[in-house]
Order: sequence, then structure tokens, then C-alpha cells
Amino acid sequence: MKKITIPKVIIYIVLTIIAVLYVAPLVWIVLVSFKTNAEVFSNPFGLPKVWQLGNYIFAWTKGKLGIALWNSVFVCVFTLAVSLLLGAMAAFGIARMRFKLSGATLTYFMIGMMVPVHCVLIPLFVMFSKMKITTPLFEIRFTNSLIGIIIPYITFALPMTIFILVGFFRSMPGELFEAACIDGCSIYKIFFSIALPLSKTGIFVTGMMSFVNTWNELLVSMVFISDPEKKTLPVTLTYFVGPYATNYVQMFAAIVIAVIPTIVVYSIFSNQIVEGLTAGAVKG
Amino acid sequence: MNKALRDKKAILFFILPAALLFTLVLFGPILYAGYISLCDWNALSKPKFIGLKNFKALFTKDDVFLTSLKNSIFFMIFSLVTQQIIGLILAAILSGLRYGKNVYKNIIYLPCVLSSAALGLLFSFILKPNMGLNQLLAIFGIQGPNWLMSVNGYIPLTMWVIGVVALWIYVGTTMMLYMAGIAGIDKSLLEAAYIDGAGKTKTFWHVTLPLLKPMARTTISLTCIGSLKFFDLVYNMTQGGPNNKTQTMATWLYFEGFSYFKYGYASAISIVLLIMCLLVTFIINRCISVKDFEN
Repeated sequence: MKKITIPKVIIYIVLTIIAVLYVAPLVWIVLVSFKTNAEVFSNPFGLPKVWQLGNYIFAWTKGKLGIALWNSVFVCVFTLAVSLLLGAMAAFGIARMRFKLSGATLTYFMIGMMVPVHCVLIPLFVMFSKMKITTPLFEIRFTNSLIGIIIPYITFALPMTIFILVGFFRSMPGELFEAACIDGCSIYKIFFSIALPLSKTGIFVTGMMSFVNTWNELLVSMVFISDPEKKTLPVTLTYFVGPYATNYVQMFAAIVIAVIPTIVVYSIFSNQIVEGLTAGAVKG
Repeated sequence: MNKALRDKKAILFFILPAALLFTLVLFGPILYAGYISLCDWNALSKPKFIGLKNFKALFTKDDVFLTSLKNSIFFMIFSLVTQQIIGLILAAILSGLRYGKNVYKNIIYLPCVLSSAALGLLFSFILKPNMGLNQLLAIFGIQGPNWLMSVNGYIPLTMWVIGVVALWIYVGTTMMLYMAGIAGIDKSLLEAAYIDGAGKTKTFWHVTLPLLKPMARTTISLTCIGSLKFFDLVYNMTQGGPNNKTQTMATWLYFEGFSYFKYGYASAISIVLLIMCLLVTFIINRCISVKDFEN
């Protein structure tokens, strides 16, 4: 047992003050979201006298946050599934296949990490508003539809995914693949039934990162979608605050609804997320 | 084995889908943006080629753009300085902690995974003149200023406030990365320093810090590019107002492009932003040379 020294106590006090600075705004918003508008001003920091669940019901239905939540879930699941598959394939190709341009290909994808989304916003918007796939049964449009934001999201998730997974595939022992090859395994089968399952941690890590980015993305979604039924969570939230500008408590409830899913996911997986998020950067 | 790994068809199968998507949705559009930026084009008319006139107008006629440029650079420098210092100190302290390391770490990192749009709205309420922080200050009899509406001075108070909120949100990333860097340092190097009689501070200064250089490069690039791209927070806290004094390049681009539909002009802003991002990356990689100390 080490001695408790004064510097140590000071460090813990300072850290606790910092932690309070981080938790206080979140606690405040949760508390006021259950109050009435008058109570926000008369009793700003106490517990609500009556817990006003109505605020949440209003934000969920009239504020369309319920629909937005499902849109966000749909967009996230789709983006994650496709970007992880395509990213893992490309990463495996770069890390394990032997061809001259493998280094150049990696650099090509890495440039994507430096490029701001803002640059492709206008060109993509113009391109997508002209594009339309018509079949006898249905019509796919690219603006004002979730497909139109999923495509850029997948693309922007790719560089990070590839970057991290290349590290994972490179660190796998080559003998493993050789043995499989001798047993008559095709290269496709090696990827899908050996490399992919073995990189589970990497997939999880990159999945988490893409989830955080996609779930929180505001700009693309705001520009590409104008139909209130199709907006994602951050956009609906941003718009909800405008029109009802004086009805604070319902907006507070909306903000809480918007951050709760991420807080829940984070508290379950926080250690893995934190480890994972750094793993990528450390490898670089 | 070698033959299987050189199989051209398999290579194309693995890489082509991602590369195709990447080219069509990222690189093609960037080139297209480069062309649009040389055109006079508002959504209704046809694009008309006008050469570099948009860029000339940006730097000579557009006061708001110059403000946004100044603000973006301010955010970059402010974030860089504060996040590097505070992030590194937090990382150094937390890494040496015996108890509660993970608790503090996870709490400080939390805002990084939350929606910055939602956090921007949250702080726009906390910093309202009659709510949140000012209510708290009123308990102590202090009349708080109008945090988000003060526009006086070269760098208005509002800008500092947004900068501090950004620090609150993003310092976690810098801290995390430095903690990972510190955890990756070979313990024998530190022990060698102790045996040679170096104290804790001296060891940190002369052993740990130089070994964190590669990580510094990563965090500095992330912070710089991140703060140049700054959109959600500013849009949801001030919408660039009052009087366009808190516009950043990203928000001004959004307003020019999608409120006034000046596609050509907005593309010119996006090209300036792109060039700045690439330039910053280039300068960082040039200035921070990473030597491999371990070998």
C-alpha cells in the first residue's frame, strides 16, 4: 500500500472538478427536460416538481424525432454493413495480395482522410439531383432519399476502415494463409472464412468509429434531404429547435433523445471503443 | 500460394468496388468542384466559365469570407494550442494514476462520441442570457455577459466561447491518443532514466516527450483539419451570427451554396478550404520529422 501524499490528493480533486465540468451540462439538460417552461426559470437547478413526460412525447411525435431515430438507425446499419464489407475487401487486397500498385492504392484511399466533405457537397448534389434510376416497378431517386446520403457516408467511412484493417491483415501470420492454400482453399474462401473472422476486433473497432461519425453527421444530410419524414436525427433536431423557439422544455427533451442512444452504446462498450479508436492512430 | 496472391482477377475483385466508389463519389466530384469554382453559376442558370473571378471576389470584395477565414484560422490555432497542452497534461496525469484511470478517461472522452450538433444546441441554451450558466452566476450575484451575442473586438467574446466549447468536446481525442502513445513506450527506457538518476519531471521531459513525437504529429493533424472543417457546432450555436461575425469557412460555404444557391462561388470557398487542409497537412509532415528513437 502506497502512502497517500498531498500532491496525489490535489490531482484527484482537480480531476474530479474536471469530471464534474463534463457531467454537469448533461445532468442539467436531463433535469430541465422534465420541467415546465416556468420551472426552468423559477427553479433552474433543482429536481423537477412533477416529472413532465409530456415533453418527450411531444418531441418524439410532433417533433418527428421518433421517425428521425429510425431513419438514422437505417442509414447507420446500411452504411456500416456496406462500408465494412467493401473496406475489408480492399484492405485485404492491399495488405495481402501481391501487386505493384498496392502502396499507391493505399495512399489513394488515405488522401480521403484529408479531404473535407464540404468540397464534394455541391458537385454531388448537382449530380444526384440529375440522376434517377427508373424501373417499371419503382424509381430510385438520389436526392431526398436515404440512398443519397448512404452513398457518401459509405465513401467517407472507407479511408479509416481500410487504414485500420490493413494493419490487422498485415499482422496476421502468413503461414495461416499458406496452410489454407495448400489444403486447396481459394483466395476468396481464405478471405471470407479465415481472414474476415480473424479480424473481428478490427471490424468491431472500425464499425464503432463509422457508427459514431455516421450517426452524428449533419451537413450532408441537411443538404441532401428536405422531406421531414426522411431526415436523420441531427438534422431533425437542428430544425426542431427553430420553429418552436420559445418552448424550451420540449427542445431539451429532443436534445436528450438525440444523445441517449450514443450514451447507452458508449457506456456498454466504452473500454473497447476507447481502445479501438486509438488502435488505428497508433498503428499509423 | 504466390500464384494465388498474384491472381489479377482476385485483386480486382477485392479492390475494385471500393476504388470505384471512392473515385466516383470523392475524386470525381472534387475535380468537378474545381471546375465549378471557375464558373459563374447559381442553381437556375447554366454554368458560365469566368476563370479565377470567384477567387478574386472572395479575397477582395467579400468581407464575410475574410471574417470566416480569420475565424477558421483562429479556431485552428486556439484548438491546437489548448488541446495540445491540456490534452498532454491530462494524458500524463491519467497515465500515472493507480485508481480511477478509466473512469476519468471515459468521462472526458464521452463528448467526442456524442453528436456535436446536439452538443451545440445544448450549449446554445446553457449560454443563453437568461438560462443555464448565467442563472448559476446569478446565484453568486454575478451578472453574466451575453455569451453568444458579443461581437466587439477583433476576436469577439463569442468566438472564444465557441472555442472553449470545442475544447470541452474534443480535448478527449487528443488526451486519448497521447495516453495510447504513453502506454506504448518501452518501460525499460523509463527505468534506465530513473537508474541514471533522473526524476519524474525530468524523465517526462527528456524521455517520454520526445518519444511522443509521432503521436504529436497525428494529434496536430487531426486537430488542425478538424477545426478547419468546423461546421456543426458553429451552425447550431450561432448560425454564423450575429451579423456574420462568427461565420467559419464551412458555415459560410453552406449559406452561399444552399441558402443563396451560388454554386460557383461556394465551390470556390470549398476549394480554398481544401487547399488549406492539404497545406496544413503538408506543413505538419514537413516540420515534425519523425525519427525512430527505438532502433
